[in-house]
Amino acid sequence: MQRCQGVFLIKNKLGLHARAATTLAQLSTQFDAQITLYQGDKSAQGDSVLALLLLESSQGKEVEVRCTGPDAKNALIAIGNLIEDKFHEAE
Amino acid sequence: MKLSTLISEDCSKAAVLFNSKKRILQYISELAQEKIPNANQHDILEALLNREKLGSTGIGKGIAIPHGRLAGLDNIIAILLVNQQPIPFDAYDDRNVDIFVSLIVPEGGNKQHLETLASIAGKLNDKHFCKRLRQASNDHELYQVLVEFDK
Repeated sequence: MQRCQGVFLIKNKLGLHARAATTLAQLSTQFDAQITLYQGDKSAQGDSVLALLLLESSQGKEVEVRCTGPDAKNALIAIGNLIEDKFHEAE
Repeated sequence: MKLSTLISEDCSKAAVLFNSKKRILQYISELAQEKIPNANQHDILEALLNREKLGSTGIGKGIAIPHGRLAGLDNIIAILLVNQQPIPFDAYDDRNVDIFVSLIVPEGGNKQHLETLASIAGKLNDKHFCKRLRQASNDHELYQVLVEFDK
């Protein structure tokens, strides 16, 4: 069982809005891992769009991503890349 | 933010019956146009369709939040529809959708948009709330569910 975690900065202008949250949730379902995002005192399962929207993560916020399971390391890398890549958005 | 303030009673429609994504978005654009007299329905529909092209607004659990941005708008227009049966909406969890919370939002205002989405998500994350929305048999009953859960 792998466990890993990382902190990533929300860089895109729109923050963790509906489309970004959906992309993240889709990506989360591809890994055999429990993925949880933390921001301040709030947390959300990575595969739940509704829960991710509740984080209200706007541009400039830092989110911690914790992954547990056989695929934890790959999941963390993929999700970290997605956030760093501004969810594939232009700005 | 209270959902019963965001969504007015005449924008709450229970037990509607549409059988496709396009039809439901057309109906939403009709309702929205009545609230924004100086916009035309075609522009509203285009905004909604363009957003769906970027990726479905089906956010799972039978819920979708079709939305679009419209220039020159002063306030958010929010519309709640509950369809009599779940329809295909390309949601990421592959579930068909029967609850639609639609937003027409002004350009910009990104932080406010996130706040609005979070308020809606907070309510829709409650299974009991969704069940009550699905059970409402008329528009008034549907709106009263919003009022009740805002207390």
